[in-house]
Amino acid sequence: MASVDIHCDSITKRFGGTEVVIPFSVTLAAGQTTALVGPSGCGKSTILRMIAGLDTPDSGTVALGAEPPRTVARNGALAMAFQDPSLLPWRSARANIALGAELARKPVGDVDALIDLVGLGGFADHRPGELSGGMRQRVAIARSLISEPDVLLLDEPFGAVDAMTRRRLNEDLPPLWRSRGATVVLVTHSVQQAVLLSDRVLVLSPRPARVVADIPIALTGTRDSKLVQTAEFAALSKEIFAVLEDSI
Amino acid sequence: MTVLRLLLWLCVVLVLWEGALRLVPGSLLVSSPLAIAGYVSNNAALLARAALETSVNAAQGFVWGNLAAIGLGTIMIVFPRSARTLSAVCLLVFCVPLIASGPILRVLFGPGTGPQIALAALAVYYTTLLTLLVGLRAVSQTWTDLMRVYGRGPMSTLIRARARASLPYLFVGLQISAPAALLGAMIGEFTGAERGLGVLTLRAMRGLDTNATWALALIAALIAMIAYGSIGWLGQRVVAYRPVILLSAPAVSVRQRPWKYLLEIGFTTAFVLILWQVSMDALDLNRFFAKRPGDVWAFLAEAQNRNTVLSALAETLSFAVPGYLAGLALGAALAALVVLSPALNRATMPVAVALRAVPIITTAPLLVLAFGRGLVGTMVVVAVMIFFPTFVACQQGLRQTPGQVVDLFRSYDAGRWHLLRAAQIPAMLPAFFASARMAVPAALLAITTVEWLATGKGIGVLMATTASTSNYNMLWSCVVILAVVAVVVYAAVAAVEHRVLRIYANEQV
Ligand SMILES: Nc1ncnc2c1ncn2[C@@H]1O[C@H](COP(=O)(O)OP(=O)(O)OP(=O)(O)O)[C@@H](O)[C@H]1O
Ligand SMILES: [Mg+2]
Repeated sequence: MASVDIHCDSITKRFGGTEVVIPFSVTLAAGQTTALVGPSGCGKSTILRMIAGLDTPDSGTVALGAEPPRTVARNGALAMAFQDPSLLPWRSARANIALGAELARKPVGDVDALIDLVGLGGFADHRPGELSGGMRQRVAIARSLISEPDVLLLDEPFGAVDAMTRRRLNEDLPPLWRSRGATVVLVTHSVQQAVLLSDRVLVLSPRPARVVADIPIALTGTRDSKLVQTAEFAALSKEIFAVLEDSI
Repeated sequence: MTVLRLLLWLCVVLVLWEGALRLVPGSLLVSSPLAIAGYVSNNAALLARAALETSVNAAQGFVWGNLAAIGLGTIMIVFPRSARTLSAVCLLVFCVPLIASGPILRVLFGPGTGPQIALAALAVYYTTLLTLLVGLRAVSQTWTDLMRVYGRGPMSTLIRARARASLPYLFVGLQISAPAALLGAMIGEFTGAERGLGVLTLRAMRGLDTNATWALALIAALIAMIAYGSIGWLGQRVVAYRPVILLSAPAVSVRQRPWKYLLEIGFTTAFVLILWQVSMDALDLNRFFAKRPGDVWAFLAEAQNRNTVLSALAETLSFAVPGYLAGLALGAALAALVVLSPALNRATMPVAVALRAVPIITTAPLLVLAFGRGLVGTMVVVAVMIFFPTFVACQQGLRQTPGQVVDLFRSYDAGRWHLLRAAQIPAMLPAFFASARMAVPAALLAITTVEWLATGKGIGVLMATTASTSNYNMLWSCVVILAVVAVVVYAAVAAVEHRVLRIYANEQV
């Protein structure tokens, strides 16, 4: 598996008169998971969309490895789970998940294993209209995983998922992408989730987005719910909260 | 259950109808159900052959017209830059009354079934195109984003998302176009075919055969309803839901600069003229009957010819305009009145929907029988042609009033009349104007058809006679003039629509 790092080189973006992203530079190491946290509306989704090549920066460049995002996308090595699930309403959950592989021009692997992993066993043949909001979101996550991307972009992937399921997904999904060496960018509103899942947390300021803290998460041991109770974990969470509060 | 109730109603109507005619005997205008049944059973073989002929032609035209619509819609989506010009050309073609293109197609195709099929295709392609485009464009941004994340382009969105998302809309279009195809085929038969329901209708009209006229109108309506019903049934099998669609081309955006607008009109006109000239030349059609733009220009340049055409046009419009306005006003007024009474509203809704299945022009001969060949009869045909679609559209429009607004009025215990005036009529306006625009070509079709069939006045009859006198310059000129009138009136209605909706329905403009 190719490992791809992500370079953002002074990217900026404005919509009409509002600056949403001011020169933003960061390098995300290959195979690492990075969390972006920051207040609502600060520009996290916009940054993610520029990394995916969905929006072009007004200035500056994004490179995935040595390639521009569009090239990586055409090779089927990119996947993104959007803030809203955007499923095709006429396809079953299974077919919606398979769409990820189809679009990436990759063989459809073991969909059913993935369905079980995201806790949708028994709902594979349901259409999105027959699923709850949280279930739809899990379909969208599974769709982004099925193509085994090198670069995986997750925009608040567990936002509508209930607390119990979220806890399980937090434990079960990361090993999947870590074992494949994927480079992951995760946008989340949950400081706890950021610490639990990532190797590095970038705290962003209110709009226009600027990195106000860059915190490495060097936790030893398995990343499961027991970790949350450790003092190390609590210290990191506290540090991030403090930065967030200061920046507002 | 509903079928049973419908049958019951049908029986009641038939008995009342028969009874009324027994009480008022000697009526020349209306046939009794028994007399019609008698005619049908005496001429069963003839009628069956004619019905089959017309249905086959209509079906062929249905297929070709809808394939054309799907092709055009796909082109407009894949090459968005072509969409404006293409849709302007499609609208222009749609604006030419079928009864005007009929004789030209007859000249080009000869006596076979070509014109019937072509007219059926022309009658259906535009409505299907409009509904299909609504569906093809109803694709959320997130789906396009999803495709792009995997490096896929517009084709992928078309195949994986748009095609499937537009299916419910396509079925609505197909369903509406089934009666239209039958109408197109019958009009094609009016213009000089040898077989078919249209030919028999023409003969019955000329022979003042009331029973035959009624029987033919009922058979045509029945075929249309069966086609409409079965496509609806099929649609329900294939796609679960039916979108509500205002059948109309998107309102002209007047926001752009005037010179740009004029440039666009000029460009479209030039495009059509070149298409006309080039296609005639490429097919190497005989200049004697296949006239080119230059011929029409030269013909109309002579004052005498011009006066003939324009005075016929004036006569036609003097009937068509009052009929058009009456049809619109009555349709909207009745829809608004009916909504005041929820029970009446529920009761008329299925009737209104069923009326969409009837090719209304087939009732024209009956109306002429009933109201005479003068001003009243002609106006009634035009008004009826427009009344029903307007009524249906306005009823749908009234239902679009947001539920919260209705609740708000209820919470103040405001009266129904107040609600109607302040909330429901503004909510109805987009639907009303949409049908007012679509009614422009419909009115011209109705008026020219009655003129052709019955009244012997106006531009319709001018076209009918030129076909037999071989004055093809006159024929082509009439067609061009009618198309220009249709487009100008359509644009005028669109301008009024824009002004009114800017006030009453801001988000829709
Ligand atoms: N297409 C657009 N046009 C105009 N403004 C936009 C557009 N997209 C985003 N914005 C603005 O940019 C800002 C940042 O938006 P973005 O979606 O990136 O925020 P976010 O950090 O993802 O917020 P949230 O956590 O609520 O999802 C917002 O103020 C938003 O209004
Ligand atoms: Mg966001």
